Amino acid sequence: MYFFSTIICRISHVLLCNVTQRVSFWFVVTDPSKNHTLPAVEIQSAIRMNRNRINNAFFLNDQTLEFLKIPSTLAPPTDPSVPIWIIIFSVIFCIVIVAVLLLILSGIRQRRRKSKGPSEVDDTEDKCENMITIENGIPCDPLDMKGGHINDAFMTEDERLTPL
Amino acid sequence: MEKARPLWANPLQFVFACISYAVGLGNVWRFPYLCQMYGGGSFLVPYVMMLMVEGMPLLYLELAVGQRMRQGSIGAWRTISPYLGGVGLASVVVSFFLSTYYNIINAWAFWYLFHSFQDPLPWSVCPLNDNHTGYDEECEKASSTQYFWYRKTLNISPSIQDSGHVQWEPALCLILAWLVVYLCILRGTESTGKVVYFTALLPYCVLLIYLVRGLTLHGATNGLAYMFTPKLEQLANPKAWINAATQIFFSLGLGFGSLIAFASYNEPSNDCQKHAIIVSLINSSTSVFASIVTFSIYGFKATFNYESCLNKVILLLTNSFDLEDGFLTASNLEQVKGYLESTFPDKYSEVLPQMKNCSLQSELATAVQGTGLSFIVYTEAIKNMEVSQLWSVLYFFMLLMLGIGSMLGNTAAILTPLTDNKVISSHLPKEAISGLVCLVNCVIGLVFTMEAGNYWFDIFNDYAATLSLLLIVLVETIAVCYVYGLRRFEGDLKAMTGRTLNWYWKAMWAGVSPLLIISLFVFYLSDYILTGTLQYQAWDASQGQLVTKDYPPYALAVIGLLVASSIMCIPLVALGTFIVRCLKRGDTPPVA
Repeated sequence: MYFFSTIICRISHVLLCNVTQRVSFWFVVTDPSKNHTLPAVEIQSAIRMNRNRINNAFFLNDQTLEFLKIPSTLAPPTDPSVPIWIIIFSVIFCIVIVAVLLLILSGIRQRRRKSKGPSEVDDTEDKCENMITIENGIPCDPLDMKGGHINDAFMTEDERLTPL
Repeated sequence: MEKARPLWANPLQFVFACISYAVGLGNVWRFPYLCQMYGGGSFLVPYVMMLMVEGMPLLYLELAVGQRMRQGSIGAWRTISPYLGGVGLASVVVSFFLSTYYNIINAWAFWYLFHSFQDPLPWSVCPLNDNHTGYDEECEKASSTQYFWYRKTLNISPSIQDSGHVQWEPALCLILAWLVVYLCILRGTESTGKVVYFTALLPYCVLLIYLVRGLTLHGATNGLAYMFTPKLEQLANPKAWINAATQIFFSLGLGFGSLIAFASYNEPSNDCQKHAIIVSLINSSTSVFASIVTFSIYGFKATFNYESCLNKVILLLTNSFDLEDGFLTASNLEQVKGYLESTFPDKYSEVLPQMKNCSLQSELATAVQGTGLSFIVYTEAIKNMEVSQLWSVLYFFMLLMLGIGSMLGNTAAILTPLTDNKVISSHLPKEAISGLVCLVNCVIGLVFTMEAGNYWFDIFNDYAATLSLLLIVLVETIAVCYVYGLRRFEGDLKAMTGRTLNWYWKAMWAGVSPLLIISLFVFYLSDYILTGTLQYQAWDASQGQLVTKDYPPYALAVIGLLVASSIMCIPLVALGTFIVRCLKRGDTPPVA
């Protein structure tokens, strides 16, 4: 139904011509009171406004039902307020940062435990050596290797090796 | 007391590390292009021959050197001869350049991956222009996938001179990519060894899924037939042989020092000969496998475009001549065209200029390589598949795995010499050294996120590694065979692994491979000199296609600097060592 200064057009006012074998035709809409056709521009803007309804009546869409000289108004793309990619990016970014921090912290903790470990083992060795000072009547002092790992018997040999 | 050198937990980790380093993006986007350009099935002949003659021997050489010397590239070559420490340094410099520009590909893969979770895919539709009456002009002239790549991802400028400013979106993705790489290399072999299980195996899973999907696509057989039909006359083309040799060389990642670094973490008794053969065979078969997938996708895309083109022609003729719907089909199109031409010659000649000539062959013949293949052609094929989001996510996830696997090798090549150095490793823990390297690379890599960044990326991609690597590997082979002595090296290997060296390896190392590399080097040098000025492809937004432009002088200077800075390390360090030794000999009095 098309309203233009209280003119009501009905289906009997739509005239077809040039009907061809493949569902295509020319049509004009006549003014109901006077016998003249309504201007094409007004018909075109009317069809533009009601395009969806006309398409649905035929179960067609803009690609399958074409009105020549009436370009279809394209639907603007739906833009969400926050782009989706930023959401996914932030999730993965946070996961990676947390994993990096966890690995670094566990590495630091491991290193601290290692540096404490050998000093604890040294303490128990010292205690043992302080208790057993005499074995078989021979004092163990000459064999005492407390603290250092340099064996005097082998020291001279190192100097004999020619440096590379 | 010295800390024991970290080792791979088992030999499988070492093999996977080498595979995930060698199997990279080049297997997916360079080999199919070469196959298409140089004769399809017949390209496999020079490819396999070069693998036997050049790939396997050089790979075995690098792994053996790394395993024997048990140090990173600088230390290993210094042990071979004190004057050749420069070879290791050149490897580190080239690896540094490579890791700077390679990770931007991972950033782009992340970008596309994050954008794959939308319906419809953002590269399948053109955005609207300002007053919503049509599509964006640039997108209309090019295609929607090209528009998304050049405008939305890169925001590329018309030439290398217009640098523009840093784009924050790719910069964020680059930072994320470096954080992921840092996460994987943080703990050295301990963390890398576990990550390589994923980076080596997951791409194969995805390729297998894609193979099944690709082969069942409509039109896939067109692509496969096109690729595998051998064009035997290409065998006579010397460029085919040169490109086969180059592809084998760069695909295995020789000369960067990564293989030496990986092998240095091996047990001395490891059988690296077997591993060298396995890795090179797997690398080459992955290339062939990936090209089967690529060509079935090509065939699908070409058939789809061909049929769309045909449908457009059918619609045009149906509309112009008011024919019955469904009267014109693809099979009777030519017949009806002839009939219409004879019956309505005037109207036909009016319509003729609008009718495009649809040809399946010309669609298939569009050969693309590099980033264009992955981010333009593949995305175009993916958007036409059902459930395109799933295929897109799988594909870019696979690209990420391949890229990160190669990055692990690149960073290992830089970090191993640094951590071997006693001065640095006594002051800084391993995590801090890795963090500093990643930070420096990330900051320099921000250059590639600028508007002209893709042009600088192409410069680095084409020139940073090519000539330098050929020279480095040549010097390596000559050093092991003639400076260190092939017999001495053979004895070392026998003492280490308990196996005698096969005559084949000796013949290749001493003779064939160096000659091959020299000829490649001479060819490329003469090619660069003969072409005169160097040119690049710039994106013209007004035309919607690539145009060729000349490099400005400062870009040429950067290219020269890239090549020279790595090559010059070798003679400079040799000279420096010689001078230092002379001074030392002059200072110490002769011993009686």
